[in-house]
Amino acid sequence: MDFALDDDQQMIVDTIRRFADRDLRGWAADADRAGAPPERLAHVAGELGFFTDAVPADAGGQLEGAYSHATRALRGFELGRGCAGLAALLETNVEPALAVGRWGSAAAKAALFASLTAGGLAALAHDSRGTLAVEPDGAGGARITGTLGPLPALATASHVLLAKDGALYLLDLAGVARAAFAPSSWRAARWATAELTALAVAADHVVSRDPAASAEVLAWARASLAARAAGVATAAMEHAERYAAERVQFGQPIGRFESLIRLRDDALTGAAAARLMALHAAWALDANHAAAHDAASRARVLAGDVVTRATIDAVQIFGGYGFVNDYPVEKLMRDARPFEALHGDERLGRVLAQKAAI
Amino acid sequence: MDLFHDSPLFTGVRQMLGAFALHQIRPIAIEHDQDESMPWELMRTAQKLGLSQTAVLDGRKKLTGVAEDPDPTKPKSQARLAVIGSEELAFGCAGICLALGGSGLAASPVARMGTEEQKAEFKRLLAGDDEKGRIKVAAMALSEPATGSDISGLTTTAVRDGDHWIIRGSKQWITNGQSAAVYVVWAQTEPAAGRAGVRGFLVARGTPGLVPGKKETKLGIRASETAQVHFEDVRVHADMMLGSPAVPGEASGGLADTKKMLDSTRPVVAAQGVGIARAAYEFLLDRVRGGSLHGTPMASHQHIMFELADMQMEITAARLLTHRAAWLADHHLENVAEASMAKAYAAKVAQAVTTRAMVLLGEEALAPGHPVDKWYRDAKIYDIFEGTGQIQRRILSRQLTGTNPT
Repeated sequence: MDFALDDDQQMIVDTIRRFADRDLRGWAADADRAGAPPERLAHVAGELGFFTDAVPADAGGQLEGAYSHATRALRGFELGRGCAGLAALLETNVEPALAVGRWGSAAAKAALFASLTAGGLAALAHDSRGTLAVEPDGAGGARITGTLGPLPALATASHVLLAKDGALYLLDLAGVARAAFAPSSWRAARWATAELTALAVAADHVVSRDPAASAEVLAWARASLAARAAGVATAAMEHAERYAAERVQFGQPIGRFESLIRLRDDALTGAAAARLMALHAAWALDANHAAAHDAASRARVLAGDVVTRATIDAVQIFGGYGFVNDYPVEKLMRDARPFEALHGDERLGRVLAQKAAI
Repeated sequence: MDLFHDSPLFTGVRQMLGAFALHQIRPIAIEHDQDESMPWELMRTAQKLGLSQTAVLDGRKKLTGVAEDPDPTKPKSQARLAVIGSEELAFGCAGICLALGGSGLAASPVARMGTEEQKAEFKRLLAGDDEKGRIKVAAMALSEPATGSDISGLTTTAVRDGDHWIIRGSKQWITNGQSAAVYVVWAQTEPAAGRAGVRGFLVARGTPGLVPGKKETKLGIRASETAQVHFEDVRVHADMMLGSPAVPGEASGGLADTKKMLDSTRPVVAAQGVGIARAAYEFLLDRVRGGSLHGTPMASHQHIMFELADMQMEITAARLLTHRAAWLADHHLENVAEASMAKAYAAKVAQAVTTRAMVLLGEEALAPGHPVDKWYRDAKIYDIFEGTGQIQRRILSRQLTGTNPT
């Protein structure tokens, strides 16, 4: 067992940490207020390899050989430290690109990769509550009806990879109207919903009907969400530690009060554990380990709890200043929500799956 | 002691304000949250109903139709009415509840410490409409940029100059800070005297040197205005210092009285936390009753129903703590510990219930304007203002051993 990073991983961590500290944190407050990412995001992040890192090199992307979820989790933690909303955009193409690259038809690959290499975005949707209706079209394809989202990146995405009832569908959203909005969380992440009315999915855009493939894709997303959530929790306590060292009440820096030391210490313990669980899940995915999917799910459960508690406690440490947007932690508390809400309630999913298996 | 049966008075207030919350507050709550705007028209309506900006000075007679027994030895009903009403209003929207009651924060010290002339002046300054045609509101200016939880460290000063005081300093997190027609500002008059030197002053809007500052953009309670207020050598007549020697009884007008006043508001704030938690709980319950999950009734799942059962337990416990603190106050019994317990526990419950409701609702609650998202954001302030959760535990710790742990 070796917990040390290799030279390439360390270089990636160092690079993404600089990007997160300098650029993402620098942009975060303005992007949150504007409800949109900065125009420079695509250029700067593109130079760092985002958006097309999961698109095969022979299709114009940067992926040569196997994709490393461990490296993605390492970078995800750093992105979470920077800005969860912008991180969501930077990571949004990975699941659709990897899934289509592994299981998709030539037509699906051609359509999706042409869009992504031209600067397009794609998103992953999971119909965790069974609210979308899928009707076979009689020719191997399907028609999909219902409300898609709310989803980050959906406002501008050219495609959505939909996981539903064990199948994966690549939805071409050309001509599909989107209701864009900036919610309380990840406000810069180009959220939207879309009303689908018998949206046609051709047979060659049904990426997979194998439940194992769908489970694999959701496990990628869960490991990534867990890593980013651990990063947000860590960032919350980085801000809180600095503030607590400076803020004096009752004759001493508030960081010396044992109750606040404990809040920070518990949050950092949780963040460290969540990061390790995310990395373990990612390693297991890379190794095709039998327990990989369960590890990713458990990582997301813990990371959701941790990021919620840590960001609420960071606001508590800041007191009245934590409640106003001149300081960064109220945004982090808002940004904690999608880590538990996106793709459904993780605990509920686990309970239902285990109940069905008994 | 009968904590478990409402009088017709309490039942009537609960029903009236519950209906007001559902039919008048809820329909406009999201709009004012998103716009960060005060509900001025609703505030006027509420004033006509007796939810007046100076209700505390009038004994809430207009709201209830019942005057308090003037015998100081008889039990009162004011504290219980306040917690019952506050839960209902916060059930509608905590931000609007605070907008409706914001002036009460300033009216309380005037009622407690002011002379009859000062009370009359306070009412006169709040009479009629302001220059924008809105009802007038008041502000309590206590907290400062460097003084949040530790209110004994105030740096705003008041220096005597003949028949006047000259006030200098800045105040932070002031409810109605930009719009107030009258401010009750707290300033240090004798630095050597420490807390005993801190006194309250009535300052009218438009007084030279009084400068409303930046309005804050907040995580929650966004229908309630919060702003900085600056006092740049504001000249105030000595008659406007609260707590004249002519005021009988124990009220001195000093900071100690202010702290007692904060003790009395904690059950009210706790009740608002209960109201937020109940709002999220009832929303979720409504969803579950009619909802299905992969073809099965949501109500058939223990995972969901036991969460609702836990929420119900926690909300009920928080309400009982709150009502007990109010009952003690109405019976002229010390309630410092009970008020702190209620405030700290209700804040915890409000945060926990809204957080779990968000998780159980999943992606739905991420949509803009979703009420549970708003309640999740609103709940946090209840662990911060009117004494943080840490301050409440500090008070309780001191009650246990007589010392302040650090």
